[in-house]
Amino acid sequence: MPNDWRPDAPFRARPAKLLGVPLVQARGVTKRYGSVEVLTDATFDVEPGITGLLGANGAGKTTMLGMIIGLHHRNAGDLQVFDSDPWTAGAEVRTRLGYAPEHHTLPSDVGAFDFVEHIAALHGLPKVEATTRASDALWLVGLGEERFRPMGTMSTGQRQRVKLAQAIAHDPKLIILDEPTDGLDPVQRDAMLDLIRTVSESFGISVILSSHLLEEVERICESVVIIGEGQTLASGRLDDLVSTDSIGVTVEIDGTEAEATQLAQHLTQQGFPTSQTGRRLNIEGTDDRVFDIARDACVSLNIGIIRLHRRRLSLEDVFLDRLG
Amino acid sequence: MTDQPTPPGPPNRPAQPTQPAPAATPPQPGAPAPSQPPAPAAPATQPSAIQTAEPAQNVAAQIYDQGYRAYDGPRTGYMGAMRALIWFSIKTALGMGRSARYKIVPVLMIVAAFVPAIVFVGIAALLGDVGEEFLPTYPEYYGFIVAAIYLFAGFVAPELLSPDRRTGMLGVYLASPLNRPAYLIGKAIAVVSIILIVTLGPTLLLLIAYSLEDLGPSGFIDWMTTFGKILLSGVTLGVLYAAVALAVSASTDRSMIATATILAMFPASAIVSDILVNEADQTSHLRLLNIPNMPRDLVFRIHDQRGLWSPIDNPTWTLWAAWVFWVGLSLAFVWFKYRRLLVRR
Repeated sequence: MPNDWRPDAPFRARPAKLLGVPLVQARGVTKRYGSVEVLTDATFDVEPGITGLLGANGAGKTTMLGMIIGLHHRNAGDLQVFDSDPWTAGAEVRTRLGYAPEHHTLPSDVGAFDFVEHIAALHGLPKVEATTRASDALWLVGLGEERFRPMGTMSTGQRQRVKLAQAIAHDPKLIILDEPTDGLDPVQRDAMLDLIRTVSESFGISVILSSHLLEEVERICESVVIIGEGQTLASGRLDDLVSTDSIGVTVEIDGTEAEATQLAQHLTQQGFPTSQTGRRLNIEGTDDRVFDIARDACVSLNIGIIRLHRRRLSLEDVFLDRLG
Repeated sequence: MTDQPTPPGPPNRPAQPTQPAPAATPPQPGAPAPSQPPAPAAPATQPSAIQTAEPAQNVAAQIYDQGYRAYDGPRTGYMGAMRALIWFSIKTALGMGRSARYKIVPVLMIVAAFVPAIVFVGIAALLGDVGEEFLPTYPEYYGFIVAAIYLFAGFVAPELLSPDRRTGMLGVYLASPLNRPAYLIGKAIAVVSIILIVTLGPTLLLLIAYSLEDLGPSGFIDWMTTFGKILLSGVTLGVLYAAVALAVSASTDRSMIATATILAMFPASAIVSDILVNEADQTSHLRLLNIPNMPRDLVFRIHDQRGLWSPIDNPTWTLWAAWVFWVGLSLAFVWFKYRRLLVRR
């Protein structure tokens, strides 16, 4: 048992000094591979909590993560992780980082416990602590009974949990999870997202969640960084980027696309700008009358309504809008 | 488990450990101080505490389900990470903590390296001075186990390098305090350490056995000199074979391809150099291309004995220069491959 034992140890509050202080600060970060510029002038902060790193494949997420870990050197700009340059102070930074890779091909013949214990020891935990905490981390992610099984015999969901366990076993300040729900069914995905939220909220470990799934980022992240075509398209708290207030109405009609176009023109003429996607129309306007206007327009044009609902600014809207 | 709020963690995990309250186990005079702070006198506010004794009594045991929690203790730093990498690599190569099929090759190779030594020890024990003419010298012993050494190098180095690249474990390692040079140094130390088992272990066993049978070096100075020569010989062989095997392993992600290449490369280099020197009448310095025999010849020189190649027309310094060349070239190739390697996620 460690000497720092105390009854309240499981409940570590997030250190007060870290509140509001960015864990990662990127200012004008540029990275080139030869003549190809994969990141251009990337600027964002990662605050304590769960931050989603969003972007399509090839957007530059992996390069950004590599620079945060200290694997790649930037060509221009300033990057600080825990107030240190990860390129020059890599070992110190990585001691306080956890990383769960995307790939599923962990050593198949190694037991989960041995693997997690090894990674904990690599991050500087003494042997006894690494042993204890490997066990604790595996229990936390729900693999307590399975911890001695070779990873090759585990399901995709179990291997994702092992990767999370090895990322947190050494008690990092920040963990980087690369597509942690990849290959999981909906039930397993819910469980994994709950687990990630638990890790962040109960143990004060901040998370960078790299994903291309907007829904899961919107569900558990407090902040988001959107990267597209090598540039930071948006960053900040999710509450500031998306809105719970209505920004209009969406109506899906029971008719042809031509009828939808006719309806869109009708509404636009009445002063409600409308965009069309197939048989679905997005009508702008925060006025409560929009519902009535849309309904009356459909009645007057003799168009049936399949769905009529309030529209909120979602992360998808932000993402698509910034991508142009 | 308890009506009180509990920390997030495994619901079915057995509670551990039992933490006696101070009142329950008053310290005995002269008893050593507890290794940890005692539990607070009023732990009821602690969410994971369970009262397991009658509350009216003075004796009250409390059980804490610690589970995952913060760690603010010391960290071993860079050297600790290196130790962890080396030890885990050694365990992996020897099949420790892995299924039986991973233990077969290393066990067979080690047995093959030690069996002749054990036989010679038996001869020495049974026949004493009479059997001395049957016993090999320390450099000669390597002739009995050369195949085991090649095989061992051919299996160990690929097993430690190639899978890390193929499975993406390299990315996990480089996300730890280790950087690329540290990773490679750790792996190299692990490979050399394992190969030393077969290049050093049997000859040390012979030294001890010969000494016990009065067939070894006489006197302390002689004994220490022989011991030093055996150490130097084992390291010379181990480092060279490890370096060449690492270079081949760095060039492919497939362990079996690397193993086959190493096992083919050793005899191939011997055949080529022999043809060049003996058949094509080229300079005898081309013998230094002979990867398996050049270091063995060097071992004879270390022990002040006549080498494999007769007449000895390669000065000893050329053998050392060739050794440095092969080791340097191999390690430079490994670094070249890894420096340019794009680490996958």
